[in-house]
Amino acid sequence: MNLQTVGTSPHRGGGFERITGQQKYVADIKLSGMLESKLVTIDSAHAKILSIDTTDAKKIPGVRLVMTSADLPQPVPRFGPQIADRPVLADGEVKFHGEPVALVVAETIEAAEEAVRLVNVQYEELPVAFTVATALDPAAPLVMDASLRPDEPLAKTNIFKEHHFGWGEIDDSKADLIVDNTYSFPMVTQFAIEPHAFIAAPDKDGIAVWSTIQHPYWLQKILANLLNLPLSKVRVYAPDPGGGFGGKQHTKYEPALVFAAVKLGCPVRLVLTLEETFQAVRRTSCDTHIRTGFTRDGKIVFQDITANYLLGAYVDIADRVVAKGSYAGAGPYNVPVVRIVSRSILSHTPPATAFRGFGNPEVNWAVESNIDEAARLLGIDRLEIRLRNLAEKGDKFIPYDKPSDGNWRQTVLRAAELIEWQKPLLPSHHRGIAVGIKLGPTTGLSYSLVRLLVDGSVIVSCGTSDMGQGARTVFAQIAAEELGVPYEKVNVIMGDTATVLYDQQTSASRSTVLMGNSVLKACYSIHAQLKTRLAKVYQIDESEITVEHGKVKLPDREAPIAELIKSALGKLGGEIVGVGEERKDAEKDHPLGGSACFYEFNCTAIEAEVDKNTGDITITRYVTVSDVGKSINPMQVHMQDEGAAVQGLGHTLMEHYIFDEKGRIRNLGAADYRILTTMDLPKEFYSETVENADGPGPYGAKGMSEGALLCVSAAVACAVGDAIGTTIKDLPLTPERVWTAIQTQKSISSPQ
Amino acid sequence: MHDFEYIRPKTIDEAVSFLDVHGPDARILAGGTDLLIQLRNNDIQPSFVLDLKNIPELQTGIQMKNGFVSIGATVTMSELIMNPLIDRYFPALIDAAEVVGSVQIRNRATLVGNICNASPAADSAPPLLVYGAEVIAVGSKEARHIPLNDFFVRSGVTILQKGEFVASIELPVPRKKMGAAHVRRTRRRGHDLASVTLCCGVEETGTVRLCYGSVGPRPILVVDESGVLADERASEEAKAAIFESMFAQASPSKKSMRASPAYRLAMLRVLGRQALKLALERLHEGGK
Amino acid sequence: MEKLVPIEMNINYQHYRLNVSPIKRLLDVLREDLDLIGTKECCGIGECGACTVLVNGRAINSCLMLAVEADGADILTAEGLSNNGRLDSLQEAFLEKGAVQCGFCIPGQLIAAKYLLTQNPHPTRQEVEEGMAGNLCRCGGYERIIDAVISVAEKGEKQK
Repeated sequence: MNLQTVGTSPHRGGGFERITGQQKYVADIKLSGMLESKLVTIDSAHAKILSIDTTDAKKIPGVRLVMTSADLPQPVPRFGPQIADRPVLADGEVKFHGEPVALVVAETIEAAEEAVRLVNVQYEELPVAFTVATALDPAAPLVMDASLRPDEPLAKTNIFKEHHFGWGEIDDSKADLIVDNTYSFPMVTQFAIEPHAFIAAPDKDGIAVWSTIQHPYWLQKILANLLNLPLSKVRVYAPDPGGGFGGKQHTKYEPALVFAAVKLGCPVRLVLTLEETFQAVRRTSCDTHIRTGFTRDGKIVFQDITANYLLGAYVDIADRVVAKGSYAGAGPYNVPVVRIVSRSILSHTPPATAFRGFGNPEVNWAVESNIDEAARLLGIDRLEIRLRNLAEKGDKFIPYDKPSDGNWRQTVLRAAELIEWQKPLLPSHHRGIAVGIKLGPTTGLSYSLVRLLVDGSVIVSCGTSDMGQGARTVFAQIAAEELGVPYEKVNVIMGDTATVLYDQQTSASRSTVLMGNSVLKACYSIHAQLKTRLAKVYQIDESEITVEHGKVKLPDREAPIAELIKSALGKLGGEIVGVGEERKDAEKDHPLGGSACFYEFNCTAIEAEVDKNTGDITITRYVTVSDVGKSINPMQVHMQDEGAAVQGLGHTLMEHYIFDEKGRIRNLGAADYRILTTMDLPKEFYSETVENADGPGPYGAKGMSEGALLCVSAAVACAVGDAIGTTIKDLPLTPERVWTAIQTQKSISSPQ
Repeated sequence: MHDFEYIRPKTIDEAVSFLDVHGPDARILAGGTDLLIQLRNNDIQPSFVLDLKNIPELQTGIQMKNGFVSIGATVTMSELIMNPLIDRYFPALIDAAEVVGSVQIRNRATLVGNICNASPAADSAPPLLVYGAEVIAVGSKEARHIPLNDFFVRSGVTILQKGEFVASIELPVPRKKMGAAHVRRTRRRGHDLASVTLCCGVEETGTVRLCYGSVGPRPILVVDESGVLADERASEEAKAAIFESMFAQASPSKKSMRASPAYRLAMLRVLGRQALKLALERLHEGGK
Repeated sequence: MEKLVPIEMNINYQHYRLNVSPIKRLLDVLREDLDLIGTKECCGIGECGACTVLVNGRAINSCLMLAVEADGADILTAEGLSNNGRLDSLQEAFLEKGAVQCGFCIPGQLIAAKYLLTQNPHPTRQEVEEGMAGNLCRCGGYERIIDAVISVAEKGEKQK
């Protein structure tokens, strides 16, 4: 196929607005008569609310409303994507540090802030469960009221759900070596540079909401349910988010805002502080106990994985994170016997939700670290041990799911080549290599609308959220390609549930594949209609006309679609409208409700230096190679993979929540929660792709952008392990932690 | 932010008389990089914010007078870094100023402000103490020259009295040849609050002045006149013993989330050796 | 209520007379009073650089400056980078090198880069890393941001 626009890297759609400061994010939107609001919280992770006195707060000039759960319909409405467990405002009990007990609405933000300080909340501290151990303690307080899940046998425990995956029967005697370790993955936050922001406004007999949301249609559904409104009366505007990373997938404070806006009859805005976003969204932390059996020659005999994921006080989408994140826990390997038990454990911590990698990085680093340890103990090269077990294309490495859909060996070998795996290293330098795999979406539904206008320009409207991944660019490229118009003439419209067709969600690296295919189908529909029109105009048979890949072939000539559209539409002009629908239906008996649409596969290899005196890690070379099927926009693919690497280095090297003994977060905000800066980057950076056009998306594309984050921790930890002769089992690998491991090693090797 | 009134005095006297009346209700603003955070977080709720930046008497910049280099209250970290006098005589102060926050912070944060906050982690404190800095405080009485070592009381608390503020800092130009260097530990390479800071100054006589911060309620200055540390022929054991006695006053807090006491104490020793090496190099390069 | 203070500023080469509340930060006045929404707020404590603007030619965090302090100042925000529709070479380079993902940090990054190049027209890669360290990008686009800044510096060199 001779591609024109696809496979090139035009400027990012929306790029001009972003470099000139004109891009409007939610916090930049002003509505006339709009009021400001602030959340009222208490400094406790778990408390019984005895009383809330709003008298003084209401006296502040400009304050229009101080809303507590008592002002809401009773019983207090609850919502959530998996279970309706979360009250619109704390209902008698605060279950995590930062859970709002009231919302203050005022004419100015200063008045709202002043009033927040004057809301007098009397409360009684209750025992707190904020770690896996304390939450699983039989004496632990119950986080979720058992009445919310009456038919659940686990309702009297803090386990929301326990998932079991695997095949075969584990037999320890089949293994020459069993590596048995427990690894912990820290609690980290998405830290989008754009803090969450929301506006709610009455809209005739319905409501309108602006939100930094990734899944506007899901928000629309939740709000319609809460307010008992038809979907058609709930309009969600979703301007491009300033970074999402999963943390903006689901409904947060929109319901509270909507109730306030309806009560007051005017628009109300809430912009979170960065500190508040830490208390709104985070990744599941996880303790993974893993036993891996090996033969003497390094073949994996079994994987026995128990992953205890720590959820927050409300489930959000985190139980799905647990199921999907642990399901492929055994990795991209042919493993004869697998047993995976993963638990979603509720705790008095901020609600965990989706975060790039969706539960996979948590287990991946345990699995890959265990393989490294086996290689060390068996005296096998660490690259070789992985190649010996890696699934080949077509292998049913998960017996009841999609077979391997890529030449993964090619990816691994390319990464090894780029890191110069076989080349001797300076004694001070060490290497690590790891692979990661993640399932793409298991179900999906994406509609799109493509309009080919009379002048040969195009409008694509689709419900994907472009939060930085560059979806706008990709869909414009596909439409440009198929309709034979220049990229610059395509306008992509997103982010309004009232005018843009339904899309299930923007997650699981799905959009290029599912929405991409939907746009493709819309273009095919335009091709067919164009053919009918042209046959009429030229009075020839449709079979004499071919319309594909932007071109029309007539019996006597060939021309780009854009050149013929005017004559095809005739005197009245107008446009040709194509609707695309891409569907991945649920599979009833599948353990996840559906098989993988594709796999994201990545190999990350690094070279590092470890300072034995300080524990400092310097990454001297970083290699990330992803199997993406086909890059629709090569530059954006690399941008995504580089970004995923940098983000992955965050939880690997420095990011983690720090709690006090009462479960309160001590390092809220940017002062003591560190993320990478320009000075913390690897010294050399290489990002590459493997493209065999073997994906289910347009032109053979697979989803991408999460893959490059999956095995960052393992690759770094493996290099550090090689440097200091021991595997560190807790992230992040702070200098202090590395130094402590070195000291422990020293005292073991030279006992006094 | 809580309501406050913004006051912009034109003279030191005006500022002093205002502070005399409103002292406890007023906060002083120079660079604002700490003050605005405290205001935003509602850690403080002053009725008045007194901006010193428009007082010509305080805009003295960096100047040499009578064997001292004087640094005025409005001098920012960026100005300090670019200044030839500082570069010539006090390079360790530049080491420290260069790692205060980001460029944006250094363009606003003042040296005097950094000192007046009396944070145990303040980067500029160790080099200033090693160089023997004095603080010039003005108030309703006569201006006071306070040795910096007497200025710090504990975290967040200085010796300044009601109505007093710091007009400048004076550094004596070293009379003997001296090499000095400032180093620190942070959790990342990009701008960060230090978990240990240390400055080492070596005079040609062999006297070593060491100051370390963030391992106790205030920075600690210790002096060793044995000459062992500067002696190339001295054994590592002998040097280690000197360092041990110099570090005896370190008492890192168990409560800090930036690093554990064990790690801080170990890093103090690493930084000590690192700074000593750099200071000696600078001494041998001709004294800097 | 607090007293309003009259101030004057030149913002993006345009003169403004305003009465501002003393408790308003420069960031608030730019965004709320003047609709210059290109200057963004993330951390609010001078750690992220999203609110970076030039005040009298120097890059500062506008979340750590009161608007009243900017009385008499010349201010440049991201909106002022392009001139009569002509993009600044940094803006072009950011697009060209793929430095723009979600875009929220970009106005601040551009201003920080502008400042860096005025201070040091021919920076080394390490100097760019140091000069841009006060601007966080959670999309992790740092490599490309650095590439973009360097490409502009190199272009400037060629023109000489």
